[in-house]
Amino acid sequence: MKVKEKKWIRVRIYLVAIFFLLGLGTVLARAYQLQILERAHLRSIARQGYVGVIKLPPQRGTIYEREGHELALSVEVASVYAHPKRIEKKGITAKKLAKALGENPDSVLKLLNRRRSFVWIKRRIPPGRARKVMALGLQGVGVTKETRRFYPGKEIAAHLIGFVGTDNQGLEGLERKYDEILRGSQYSLIQMRDALGRLFSVSRPIPSGHRMHDLRLTIDKDIQYKAQQALKAAVERCGAKAGHCIVVDPMTGEILAMAVVPEFNPNSFLDYKPYQWRNRAITDCYEPGSTMKVFLLAASLEENVVSPLTRFDCEQGMCQVADHVIRDTHRYGLLSVSEIVVRSSNIGAVKIAQRLGYERLYDYLKKFGFGQKTGVELIGERSGFVRPPDRAGPVDRATVAFGQGMTATSLQLAMAMAAIANGGRLMRPYVVSSIVDESGKVVDKTYPKFVRRVVSAQTAAKVSRILEGVVGEGGTGPQASIRGFRVAGKTGTAQKVDPRTRTYSNTKHVATFVGYVPADRPKLVILVMIDEPKGIPYGGVVAGPVFREVGQWSLNYLRVSPQIRMAEGLEAGKENVTQRTPKPSARAVKRSTRSKLHVKMGLLPDFSGLGMREVLCKGKSLGLKVVPKGTGLAVHQEPRPGSPLRNMTKVIVRFRPPTYQNTEAMSQGSMGKEDAAGRLAQRN
Amino acid sequence: MFDRRLIQNFDWVLVLLLLLIAGISILNLYSATYAIRDVGGAQVFLKQIYWFLLGLFIFLLMTTFNYYVLERFAYPIYFLSIALLVTVLIVGKVTAGSQRWLGLGPIAFQPSEVAKIAVIMILAKFFSEKGGYREYRLRDLWQPFLLVGVPALLILKEPDLGTALLLVVVSFSVILFVDIHWKSLMILALSALGLVPVVWVHLKEYQRLRILTFIRPDMDPLGSGYHINQSKIAIGSGLIWGKGFLKGTQTRLHFLPEQHTDFAFSVLAEEWGFIGSVILLLLYLFLILWGLNIAKDSKDKFGSIMAVGIVAVIFWQVVINVGMVTGLLPVVGIPLVLFSYGGSSLISTMAAMGLLMNISMRRFMFQ
Repeated sequence: MKVKEKKWIRVRIYLVAIFFLLGLGTVLARAYQLQILERAHLRSIARQGYVGVIKLPPQRGTIYEREGHELALSVEVASVYAHPKRIEKKGITAKKLAKALGENPDSVLKLLNRRRSFVWIKRRIPPGRARKVMALGLQGVGVTKETRRFYPGKEIAAHLIGFVGTDNQGLEGLERKYDEILRGSQYSLIQMRDALGRLFSVSRPIPSGHRMHDLRLTIDKDIQYKAQQALKAAVERCGAKAGHCIVVDPMTGEILAMAVVPEFNPNSFLDYKPYQWRNRAITDCYEPGSTMKVFLLAASLEENVVSPLTRFDCEQGMCQVADHVIRDTHRYGLLSVSEIVVRSSNIGAVKIAQRLGYERLYDYLKKFGFGQKTGVELIGERSGFVRPPDRAGPVDRATVAFGQGMTATSLQLAMAMAAIANGGRLMRPYVVSSIVDESGKVVDKTYPKFVRRVVSAQTAAKVSRILEGVVGEGGTGPQASIRGFRVAGKTGTAQKVDPRTRTYSNTKHVATFVGYVPADRPKLVILVMIDEPKGIPYGGVVAGPVFREVGQWSLNYLRVSPQIRMAEGLEAGKENVTQRTPKPSARAVKRSTRSKLHVKMGLLPDFSGLGMREVLCKGKSLGLKVVPKGTGLAVHQEPRPGSPLRNMTKVIVRFRPPTYQNTEAMSQGSMGKEDAAGRLAQRN
Repeated sequence: MFDRRLIQNFDWVLVLLLLLIAGISILNLYSATYAIRDVGGAQVFLKQIYWFLLGLFIFLLMTTFNYYVLERFAYPIYFLSIALLVTVLIVGKVTAGSQRWLGLGPIAFQPSEVAKIAVIMILAKFFSEKGGYREYRLRDLWQPFLLVGVPALLILKEPDLGTALLLVVVSFSVILFVDIHWKSLMILALSALGLVPVVWVHLKEYQRLRILTFIRPDMDPLGSGYHINQSKIAIGSGLIWGKGFLKGTQTRLHFLPEQHTDFAFSVLAEEWGFIGSVILLLLYLFLILWGLNIAKDSKDKFGSIMAVGIVAVIFWQVVINVGMVTGLLPVVGIPLVLFSYGGSSLISTMAAMGLLMNISMRRFMFQ
């Protein structure tokens, strides 16, 4: 080959190389255009082509009560689905499926004959049954796991907890309020379709990664149960329409129980009417009635406009205020402020209120939390209504004194009472004590929240003393007394407004009792409200026994020991009304020295007024077999005290739960018939 | 049989490039046929390995003789291929409406593949014999036109528009390479333009539709434009890094047509992304430039022209196929050389590569 020709070829080849470079460059630029510049667009088209998403209900955290028992939990269930287009022998498949699921073969076949690529055959079945379906190994049939909400306590705290819908979304109560927090990963099944729209595959459930949390409540399931059971029984007994019972720890504001009757079972909430789902203890406002006298009293004492002994003329049960006549259920003449509250005189209350002035009363009611939400973490709370001074007429100004012409929720009432119980501090009520994440770490903890001081501790103590008289003889609520404990409380019997006549009804009432126990170091504030009881409507008669039942049971359950030294406490109280620490009385000291004397002399000592443990110990040290009868404090013994110990082998000791009467009597060494409680009430 | 210097001149770069492309191809085929593996897909993948091994054998076979002898045998080979093309029209197997395959015992092959090499050879012989530096005019070119035109028409008759076109553009590239007078070029270009309506009338309905959908692909996205749209979606949705091996949804879910043959590149682009496409295209680029380097270093004109022709075959197949699957060119059934599934194409390409190797090995040898 000639050199010239060689050179010529070289030049031509370079030209060809440039041309080829350009050609490949064009193709490369095209790839760049598609894969880099138009990628988002093309990828989204690709997705549309093949992806379909079936969302499964998200997992959900557990709701625990204070001791760690589950109130709401998610249980694993299985759901069976099918790809009808992939099933060849639909008849046989339907029959086998129906048999395994206990369904009607025709309805299954109908599902399989749908012109869809995906159908649910049956959702939320027990996993065991789903395994049976899997074992059949049917083509085009699959099983996926889901969770289902379950409320093991059924009606227990149902109104508080609420419930979830079919897709595990919170619909009511805490389930709704804390939906975002309780909700865990949303699982989705990605189904792919091929070019002809045939279902290609269904992925394993893919989690969305939402963090799931558990709730721990302040609710105690046993107290809750007791409150519901006692309330339900009372509502049925009275033929009432509804009722609430709230148990609160006055020191912290923790809600221990919140019962609403009629109840519902959240596992099958659709069987109930929507109004039955409502937590009416916070969503329904009503005129609270005489219970408001407590707060009137506290305000008046705090403002020093009256003392417990200040007397008012109760005008023999009838009194005209502007164009309105105010009545009492009993005719009273002169009553002291304490008697006005203990006997619940409306006229007396109006007179106290007039002395205090409506502006100040209004301020105090606001400070006690009326007319505003308590701030409890529950949905649907209402604030109630107290008429501001500038819009209150003379009648309104008077009737608010006994709880008419204003509204409140049960929870407000309970919290206001708790403020008296704990020495004048209004607390924010709460039900969620902590939020715990999946790893068990506490994410959020609720601490007791002090809202404001309403009255001084001294005033609260004075009020408390007077309220103890309410459950005594001569008070309106002796039915609420609890043996062995000092109870403070107030009854309320409010007339309801008849929506038809727009006046106060004589037949429809709201009966309430709200109080706390033990009065000197309160553990529980209990509110009982019964809506429209038939027959006797009085708060003491209708609601009082529920208070007693729930209170007695809860104190026992919480191992609050009965106040066996109450006798001494009362003795001391005689000397100084505000003196709250019990002092051993002279008489008790005398008795104990006398019993020592008895032992020395070889005689049987006096066991009366002692607790069972003490009696048993003493008996043992004397070499006697003690046969106890009943519970509470010793009231009687056989043989009698002072009998010679010689030849004595056993002693029968009768115990009885303490009441004011018998403790007072016992402290005097005999079963006197004197009405100590009555005296106490009068004295206050 | 081998000279020691021959072994020394063995072109490892060329072999390496071939092995790389074939390796990627086989991996990609595995993925492309994964979705249909239970209906013969696995066989496709295995078969391609066998074809490739056979191809390597042919490749080596093609290096055993001095390519110079081909200059002597060019005409016999050419006429043999013409004979085969005629035979296929008479007794060839009909698949999918075309008569492209000739059964030879257990294996079938496409005579058009043989014709490609034969035409390159005959052109190389023709232009190298003319000798010297000259610009060809139309009157000098009637012979090559005839030599290309006869097999091209025969192939068109099968019908196999893609291969016929390829034959024409490759031949034209060779003619351009050996230089054509600019006046002649203009006349050719103008007459080609003038021929467009004539060709249009003679095109088959589906061919016309393909060109129409090329101009407006969204005209009928579910019909004739479907393939190209799905292919573009597949390539585009691969983004930069791709969806991963065996993860291409377009491929997996059969959205892509002919995913192991004509649209194999789309599978690669979907699963390996822009990076994957660039790597493959660069390999082709290296192969082409390496081939041109061989052409440049060839000891004679015949070798040079033949090498350029072979490189042109590679180049045009890559550009046409990738241009087609990316929607740059209308759909013509041309597989991606060395990459798509297909024994006949692979064997003939490997044979051509063997010739290239032959030229490369003997570049320093003088007779």
